[in-house]
Amino acid sequence: MLFAAEAAKPYLGVFADGKFAQFVLMLVFAFIVWFMVTRAKAGMKIPEIRKINGLEALDEAIGRATEMGRPVHFTPGLAGVGNPQTFAAFGLLGYVAKLCAKYDTRLIQTNADYVVLAINEEIIRQAYLESGRPDAFNADDVQFMSDQQFAYAANVMNMFQKDKPAANIMMGAFWAESLIFAETASFIGAIQIAGTAHTHQLPFFITACDYTLIGEEIYAASAYLSKEPVLYGSLVGQDWAKIFVFAMIIIGTLIANFQAKGNWLTSILKK
Amino acid sequence: MRKELPIIVTVLSGLVVIFSRYFHYGMQLGLMDTLDKWYLVSASFAILLGVVNMVKIHWGYIRRRKEGWWNSIVLLLCLFGYGALTVQQTVDGPQAAWIYNNLITPGDSTMFALIAFFISSAAYRAFRVRTKEATVLLITAVIVLLGKAPIGDALINGWGTLADWILKVPNTGGFRAIIIGAAIGAFATGFRILLGLERAHLGGTGTK
Repeated sequence: MLFAAEAAKPYLGVFADGKFAQFVLMLVFAFIVWFMVTRAKAGMKIPEIRKINGLEALDEAIGRATEMGRPVHFTPGLAGVGNPQTFAAFGLLGYVAKLCAKYDTRLIQTNADYVVLAINEEIIRQAYLESGRPDAFNADDVQFMSDQQFAYAANVMNMFQKDKPAANIMMGAFWAESLIFAETASFIGAIQIAGTAHTHQLPFFITACDYTLIGEEIYAASAYLSKEPVLYGSLVGQDWAKIFVFAMIIIGTLIANFQAKGNWLTSILKK
Repeated sequence: MRKELPIIVTVLSGLVVIFSRYFHYGMQLGLMDTLDKWYLVSASFAILLGVVNMVKIHWGYIRRRKEGWWNSIVLLLCLFGYGALTVQQTVDGPQAAWIYNNLITPGDSTMFALIAFFISSAAYRAFRVRTKEATVLLITAVIVLLGKAPIGDALINGWGTLADWILKVPNTGGFRAIIIGAAIGAFATGFRILLGLERAHLGGTGTK
């Protein structure tokens, strides 16, 4: 009991055990992003960010579906709102829905989570409203299929065969169903844009889809597509934070190789 | 207030999570557990939204006699029949458990097994493409495939070691780089939401 009380002693009298370095790193990352956002807000020059082909291809994919008179399918994956990848999908869905409303193309949006369903319905409804086409919004095309992984996969496969979407957009957290979706859509000749931060599903998407957003790219989607300097600024901040982390990795590797005893960097990061 | 109120709730919840995760006293108060319970309760209400959505769509299919409408009848019968059965005898009841174990579980396994065939067709298509990347992919796949099977070491001694090196060094290194990038991306997204710059979840195109 005494041991447990000693173990729970706060660091510097305030921080939870082993959380001080994490908190400082969080502040550093927040500062970098905030600094770039502030610069962009002030109208100062911010560095360019690289082109993301998968996002540039969205217009082409929806345009192709419009020409063929076939629908567009969008899925945010299986995860609920507790997963940041689902939030990344929300940003993209708004853009896709707006384009579909503009071109008068049917958008089929399938869900495996009821909370996500409600949010997606609102996003699409709002996008149609912003495009001046509230009458074109069809609530029946925003569908809850099942919260069971393979029941959802079977339902989506059935929808692919029945409605034959010309574009399949998969953005969010995916598990084993990723290849089932990608291959079935490939069989019906759909152009596919996929993105996930789940590394074990990325090889499937890269192999089966036309464009794949890898890891961090999905989080950049809504800011990238908005073309707003302030949000662009946050993406530049994200890149700077990445440079900071890779610098730490290089320093840590050098210390691990050349310091005979201990590693001061890991000792600090454990605090 | 339609957009401001959710932003205020989001920012407050974010601050509570930061306080509970990093600060000793925040952890002791157990506010994160309370927030998790609130989420579970509110998410449980949303189940109704899912059921209403399904019933509305499939009832529409039946009414309009859309192609395959009889499938919708089966779906609605299963939805309400199984729901009633589990209310009557809980999910562990003899009939409810039997249906789950003998119909749903084999169905899931069948869908999962399909992935083996999809992997083959996807690999065939990827390897057929004549690009430098596809060639690298093909060579690596052959090395790892044979290295992981007994035939690899039987053909050339050390083949298995080469396959293991590919998996453990370049493959793991690449995966970790993606994970680090994704974690920073998730952080930046969270920070944008906290600052109220990203509002996709509140409807529309998602940006301020």
